[in-house]
Amino acid sequence: MEKLKKIIAFMTICMLCLGLPGCYDAIEIDEEVYALSIGVDKGINNAIRVTFQYATYMEDGGGGMGGGDEESGEVGGTIVSTVEAASLLEAINVMNAAVNRQVSLMHAKMLIFSEEFAREGVGRYIEPLSRFREVRELMRIVVCNGKAQDFIKENKSLIGSNPSKALELMFEQSKNTGYFPDMIFGDFYVDLLTPYGQPVAAYAGVNDFKQLDEGEENEKPPLKPEVDIEPGDIPRTGGTKKEIFGLAVFDGDRMVGTLSQNETRFFLMGIGEFQRGFFTFVDENEPELIYVIEAQLARKPSINARMANGVPIIGLELDINIDIISIQSRRHYEQLNNIEGFEKNLATYFEQGLKKTIDKTQKEYNADIFHFGKKVAGNFNTIQELDDYNWIGHYQEAIVNVSVSVNARRSGFIYGATPIRSTESKKGVEEQK
Amino acid sequence: MIKEGRFGFMEAFSIMAIVLVTKIFYGSPMAIIKYLGTAAWYGTLISCVGALIFFTLLYLLMKRFPQQDLFQIFETVTGKLIGKSLILIFAVFLLYKAGINITEFTAVLKVYSMPFTPPSMIILPFLIVVAAMAYVGLEGIVRTAHIFFYLVFGSLILILLLAIPSYDFNYLQPVLGYGLAKTIETGIIRTAAYDEIVFLAIIIRSLQGLQVFRKVGYLTLILGGLTFSVCLICILAAFQYTVGGEHLSGMYQLSRVIYFTRFFQRIESIFLFVWVISSVITVAFIFYISLNAYSRVFNISNHRPLILPFTFLTFMFAFIPNNFAQIMEIHLRVLREFSSVIFIFIPVMVLLLALIRGKKEVKTSGKA
Repeated sequence: MEKLKKIIAFMTICMLCLGLPGCYDAIEIDEEVYALSIGVDKGINNAIRVTFQYATYMEDGGGGMGGGDEESGEVGGTIVSTVEAASLLEAINVMNAAVNRQVSLMHAKMLIFSEEFAREGVGRYIEPLSRFREVRELMRIVVCNGKAQDFIKENKSLIGSNPSKALELMFEQSKNTGYFPDMIFGDFYVDLLTPYGQPVAAYAGVNDFKQLDEGEENEKPPLKPEVDIEPGDIPRTGGTKKEIFGLAVFDGDRMVGTLSQNETRFFLMGIGEFQRGFFTFVDENEPELIYVIEAQLARKPSINARMANGVPIIGLELDINIDIISIQSRRHYEQLNNIEGFEKNLATYFEQGLKKTIDKTQKEYNADIFHFGKKVAGNFNTIQELDDYNWIGHYQEAIVNVSVSVNARRSGFIYGATPIRSTESKKGVEEQK
Repeated sequence: MIKEGRFGFMEAFSIMAIVLVTKIFYGSPMAIIKYLGTAAWYGTLISCVGALIFFTLLYLLMKRFPQQDLFQIFETVTGKLIGKSLILIFAVFLLYKAGINITEFTAVLKVYSMPFTPPSMIILPFLIVVAAMAYVGLEGIVRTAHIFFYLVFGSLILILLLAIPSYDFNYLQPVLGYGLAKTIETGIIRTAAYDEIVFLAIIIRSLQGLQVFRKVGYLTLILGGLTFSVCLICILAAFQYTVGGEHLSGMYQLSRVIYFTRFFQRIESIFLFVWVISSVITVAFIFYISLNAYSRVFNISNHRPLILPFTFLTFMFAFIPNNFAQIMEIHLRVLREFSSVIFIFIPVMVLLLALIRGKKEVKTSGKA
């Protein structure tokens, strides 16, 4: 009897082990193909045109890095395929008819909408993705000023052989420059539904490399430290043609405008997401020369909001730490006798930049992308009161006071630079004293 | 009488804490955020206070009959027939609760992790483990709970901590949610979310005295209330009341947004592990108490022959809801809002009856 019990117990354990492989949901890693980017454009013969970029599991996609076979859509270790369908998820099924593996969105890193599409409203295409089990909250949201399909075609990895890694690192650049927001799908979806503010997405374009003027050299080229550039218009050649520069502003699910790369930096500062970035300034003492600083937020911005006679008054205070990276004139702005004025000038610059950016979002777009609403909400007792007031609709009436304090912390490897000596340099040395 | 074994404070504390807190992994946060909005986090504390008051009444009842467990008290106070009827009501409702808990587990698991596995293939292995645990008995279940207590709560804390970058506590405003009156009203109704504390009175004879009963009861309720409240704060801070009120499993979603560089992400598998363990322990405990109650009614001294038919019945209960809407809008509402009619109302009525009729155990030693 005891032996029988042991045999039954052993057989039961063996039977239970059968369940361990999870037979119904078991999928081998190479039974699926993982879409890395999903592009959504307006369709011609059906509602939408969806472009998928998926990894090929081959070192260079069979077409060589950066190159590829135009017809099969091979692009730098990936395949780019476009399909027209009635819905985004149906497009996956249609795509499966042509791909010998199940297309999975489990590792999708980027969802990109064409601007034309975004201006009509993206809500109906975000909604199914927010329900779908395969979609990750960490997928990035991008709006492209041309066709999403074209952007994905140019989404090549010229450095390194891992297209997935390349995509993730591309969005990490937001931290290094502040030129675009690193907006993830989860946050975008939350922002679509929130009563506290409005969503944004990274703004992208394709550069045709024709922006770099190849004309004659200018003897005295103009010094333009702060030029607003649209994505796709950066004067450059070489590298990949895709670029992300600035952000798209949404009112609900419709794109209503854009912020330039410089305005994006101020926006990121305002929401406390600015990590670091270089800023170039004309040296007031020698206008033909510049100085460069690297700015970082010292801490998250302090925001307060109150209502005065029905008008929201918002206070935004920022502390910015800067490192001096370069002073072409070699003047000693980092020294105690100069530093106060130097910091004050920079504080004024950041203050004005922030004010202008906030002003633009208020007057041009009436879209609270700064989410000041989360502080304004503190002035209401209940959700009904907040809903009745409708902060999003009242954003443009708000008075926003900005105050920035700048602290020049370090000056790189050099403190108190020695002037460059030449037969003409004596004047410069005297000036610095 | 079924031999249930004896265990200490930590074992009892662990099982009760797991049973109370398991709900946080499912649709409970969604429901309370939908009702109370930004006030959900303290709405649940109001429920917890309600549960503490109920537990105090329960303690007064148990104190009057220190040598008896709740089922014995039912019989002593109301007489054999009514007492047994009340115990039978407990048995049937607990079985229903076990079945619906499994259904909820299966539904959420299918949505998040195993979309193509038939529900029966999830429920069946689950029930086999539950049956095995019930076979071992109460002491086995409780000691298993004690082992996994640290893992369950450790993982829960880990998820909450790792998701810190996603939090913005400004989203807890406006502080009164949909209004204080609604918060208090819903908070009181949802006292039922903590009414599992009544199980402690059923297993009291396995505890080491009335003082341990009191200590475990209050501490687990406080821990449960705080855990619920902190989890709701985190869900609200990460997803706001709008999206927090539509996520099937707010805690699972929270684990999905954890991201520290490219190398540290997708850690929701930890959550899945904790989720399954705590669900199995909870259902096994409820299943066992149901078995125990039934055995009491019919004076069955060995519960083991009943395991197979009860497993079959639980399996049947698990298939009552046709769809997720029925689970959420009918069955879970019954369990989390109206179960108080059975778990709270009956013991309180029994206490009142005992007071009115002056029923009291003659020999009061202070020990169970």
